[in-house]
Amino acid sequence: MSSDSERFAEAEDGGPQPEKHCGHGRGGMGEEVKRKEDQRFITGRGNYVDDIKKSGMLHCELVRSPHAHARIEDIDKSRALEVDGVVAVLTADDLLEYDLATMPTLMDDTQDVLVNDKVKFQSQEVAAVIATDRYTAKDGAQKVDVDYDVLDPVVDAADALEDDAPLIRDDIEGQEDNHCLDWETGDEEATAEVFDEAPVTVTEQMLYQRLHPAPIETCGAVGDYDPGKDKLTVHMTSQAPHIHRTLFAQVSGIPEHKIRIVSPDVGGGFGNKVPIYPGYVVAAAASYVLEQPVKWVEERSENIQSTGFARDYDMQGELAATEDGEILAVRTDVLADHGAYNAVAQPSKFPAGFFNIFTGSYDIDTAYGTLTAAYTNTAPGGVAYRCSFRVTEAVYLIERMVKVLADELGMDPAEIRRKNFIQPEQFPYESPTGWNYDSGDYEKALDKALEMADYDHYREEQQRRIETDADKLLGIGISSFTEVVGAGPGKSCDIAGVEMFDSAEIRVHPTGNATVRVGVQTQGQGHETTFAQIVAEELGMDVDDITVEHGDTDTDPYGLGTYGSRSTPVAGAAAAVASRKVREKAKAIAANELEAAEEDITWDRESGEFHVAGAPDRSISITEIAAGAYMNKPAGEDPGLEAVNYYDPPEMTYPFGSYIVVVEVDRETGEVEFEKFVAVDDCGNRINPMIIEGQIHGGLAQGIGTAMMEHVTFDDNGNVTGGDFMNYLLPTSMEIPNFETGHTVTPSPHHPIGAKGVGESPTVGSPPAIVNAVVDAMAHGGISHIEMPMTPDVVWEKLDEAGLAADPADAIALEFDGQWSDEAADD
Amino acid sequence: MKAAQFEQHEPETVEEAVSLLESLDDRAILAGGQSMVPMLRFRLAVPETVIDINQIDALDYLEEDNDWLRIGALARHADVEHADVIQEKYGSFADAAPLVADPQIRNRGTVAGAVAQADPKGDWGSVLLAHEGEVVAHGPDGERTIPADEFFLLPYDTTLDENELLTELRVPTPAAHEGSAYHKLKRKVGDYAMAGSAARLVLDDDGRIERAGIGLTAVDITNVRATDAEDHLEGERPGSDLFKRAGELAAEQSNPESDEHGDAGYKERMVNVLTQRALGDAAERAGLVKRRVTQ
Repeated sequence: MSSDSERFAEAEDGGPQPEKHCGHGRGGMGEEVKRKEDQRFITGRGNYVDDIKKSGMLHCELVRSPHAHARIEDIDKSRALEVDGVVAVLTADDLLEYDLATMPTLMDDTQDVLVNDKVKFQSQEVAAVIATDRYTAKDGAQKVDVDYDVLDPVVDAADALEDDAPLIRDDIEGQEDNHCLDWETGDEEATAEVFDEAPVTVTEQMLYQRLHPAPIETCGAVGDYDPGKDKLTVHMTSQAPHIHRTLFAQVSGIPEHKIRIVSPDVGGGFGNKVPIYPGYVVAAAASYVLEQPVKWVEERSENIQSTGFARDYDMQGELAATEDGEILAVRTDVLADHGAYNAVAQPSKFPAGFFNIFTGSYDIDTAYGTLTAAYTNTAPGGVAYRCSFRVTEAVYLIERMVKVLADELGMDPAEIRRKNFIQPEQFPYESPTGWNYDSGDYEKALDKALEMADYDHYREEQQRRIETDADKLLGIGISSFTEVVGAGPGKSCDIAGVEMFDSAEIRVHPTGNATVRVGVQTQGQGHETTFAQIVAEELGMDVDDITVEHGDTDTDPYGLGTYGSRSTPVAGAAAAVASRKVREKAKAIAANELEAAEEDITWDRESGEFHVAGAPDRSISITEIAAGAYMNKPAGEDPGLEAVNYYDPPEMTYPFGSYIVVVEVDRETGEVEFEKFVAVDDCGNRINPMIIEGQIHGGLAQGIGTAMMEHVTFDDNGNVTGGDFMNYLLPTSMEIPNFETGHTVTPSPHHPIGAKGVGESPTVGSPPAIVNAVVDAMAHGGISHIEMPMTPDVVWEKLDEAGLAADPADAIALEFDGQWSDEAADD
Repeated sequence: MKAAQFEQHEPETVEEAVSLLESLDDRAILAGGQSMVPMLRFRLAVPETVIDINQIDALDYLEEDNDWLRIGALARHADVEHADVIQEKYGSFADAAPLVADPQIRNRGTVAGAVAQADPKGDWGSVLLAHEGEVVAHGPDGERTIPADEFFLLPYDTTLDENELLTELRVPTPAAHEGSAYHKLKRKVGDYAMAGSAARLVLDDDGRIERAGIGLTAVDITNVRATDAEDHLEGERPGSDLFKRAGELAAEQSNPESDEHGDAGYKERMVNVLTQRALGDAAERAGLVKRRVTQ
């Protein structure tokens, strides 16, 4: 195992030049193999939930509450049932008959599938109309008459914790206020002592605003109960089909082997498709009751208004430091908005996710953090939007605070980072809040980014603009983040009680090609290519001879799903280990075929073949061995050539990187433009550099959305005011600058192929770099923080506060050009 | 996003369309559909009948004669964006076109439809006001013209009669020393304006402003003219101090509301900034002055 890691580590470093091929040149590790799945996506042959059509399929439309907080007095179905084509109207009373009126959230709260008594957020599901087509279902939904007794809503976490706030969760016995949970980490006393005695302390309040993952494909399901086989199939937009099968079994009482969850092509998940939503349950339940397939697909605004949001952490950050910038301690206090139900999507022993990794990339001995979560009349959530559970919030906190400290001390933000980084020789490193970092070389990544960004040049240009009172200010922001990805291990991480491992199964067929099935599900990450490359590398096969399947619980090994950048760290490891099991068995067959003793057979990674020691011309490939396994098996061996591995990771992996963002800030309007955007990532050994780069680009775009425009907002009545794409703004190619990406390679020592997850690093790492850049542009005016999203009005307010706002009159001077001579026209 | 049922008619002449308007109750007109189709799909509009005018070929034009630039009811935003005559002579139109929504919407949506929609956050109304343009409408009694000044009533409400079809927008062809410009501030491509300002300046041979037109976007219940600023400009020679005061007057006369596009104070400030910028470009395009580069 270690020799593999060392070998790949030689593929060190890169920059823009093509990656050196590590393997046999047939699509193994490190090769820029074109994505196998793109043929069908690009030619419009993807198969998403809404593409699924079944004979006799009915359609479901949900009736949603227009109020954020209201008691349901009465629901009258009669007008809806009169609509030609409406087959059924379901309410909580109907579901109660089947014991399906409620469902557990991932944090073991209980959420109404259809509201039984009291609406707790706008757009909550009140009734379901089943009809012969989706238009008729909508017609019916408009004719369901619901009598609401409207109550005062509370949509802000701080307001919700006031004494006179309306009680949201009167369904929980003994609950007397809107307090959801408290959490703490670290050493309170030791941290207080350091702060008391520290020469320098800084404090900043920052809101990581409510975001929505906003996958382009909304959530949907086709429930398809087959009464002949007594089997329920649910095609659904799921990032975690097996966990969803287990939850379906628990909720419905249908035995798990009688349930099949199929997650077909999924058009983006980003954490939004980890939870179970009422629509899934209704579609399945309706199909079970009506014995016909039932499709439910959300509209865009339903997705944004009712499904899992992300973030919404209001954080106070504090750093204690020496006068020369050594960070002594970090402290934070968080107010979290969990919405109407505690439905945060994280491992069950981590109510604040992995937020306590907020010491980041720095060797800080002392840390303490507290968190209070509140219920509000808003949709439940707290999903891990393209990040490992709450690590985004943690990275934002520490990377923002380091900039605040640098400005307080008048230090260069690169220098202060360098001074505090955990050093390469300190790994494995144990953080004061209990994390075991596997490997890192933070300074190397930062140095590379500084060089790529031409950092010194921009610092000079920034100064020049300040001195010449230029109309556009320049700001340079840095973020040197560390992610923690790849949950389990199972002993500490579980989802709804199931330990967080993952799996891969490899079957090599008699004619020498292979089918690989994995327990994780792709939502666009390129699993069908990446996992094939791992197996190709390990078995010396051609990547084109390997098909990867996933997303069907009837055929795939049990797995925990794709989120938290865990597919490569966990299922990727399983694929490598399973490959090695296949190789082990193949060795015996190789010995038989080559007529040599098994101990004389060696595996040669360069050629991807077995050799007889001392006789390099006597070799055999897995493809040739496959035939032997089925047609000429050695005496005493079982036939066939396959293996399965369930991989429980010993630790998580810790990818990292340094991002540098240069922005121009328009002093007249507050508009921000990206001048330069450098991203250096280190995800250990790289499987497919092209896929990694695509992932980085996508994540950076989402980071820009976070920093510049995205925000789910509410008015005082609890109406979602940012609930569609006209108001919930997503960045497009027009808002995205040219990214310059680079990498370093620091393999994970405990991962079978030395790889770490990468898909989420850019979303996690980029928002603080962007905010730091805009703050940096006006730091000379005394600005220490700007809240996201940094729309022009928000930035202009800060310019104005700093006395840096400018008037166009200074820039648009017009002058005499000779035709009018009686007076000077110049200003 | 599932529309309610409706009947659709596809008239091929203006007369046919007008007679449908006369004979049918509860109908909506569909041109480019970039506002109407979302309204139908959200069921914000639930008409019994949709009159699709896309088959009336006679309305698909963009042309200039001696007196007018004429934009037919089926001219798309993209037609304006790419027309040579616009690029050469109508600076504000050339500025505004690529700022309207995104390319897909500009390929389909019509300029006249956007004006008829009368969204105060729409761009074309401001351009039309700055140019002192006109709206041409056909009704049962034939054709009439409505000055842009008298067209907008309320958000989504105009002085078009119920049975009238908007058939053309037109603005006067430019004078010898005329320039115009449009500046818009938005949060991202495709977003509606946080604020916008269209300016048109006509200079006399002596370099004095003979005629000034300023139209503002997204800062009142309709697109509005900044008449105080216009009055202040007329008779004066272009200059940054003059424009600075005009910007202030436009801001004072604007009446924005705080919303997701920014708070009212910021929008007023932006009316000032954008008006100054538009006036600067318009003056330069009018041809008698040039810009001094200060930085």
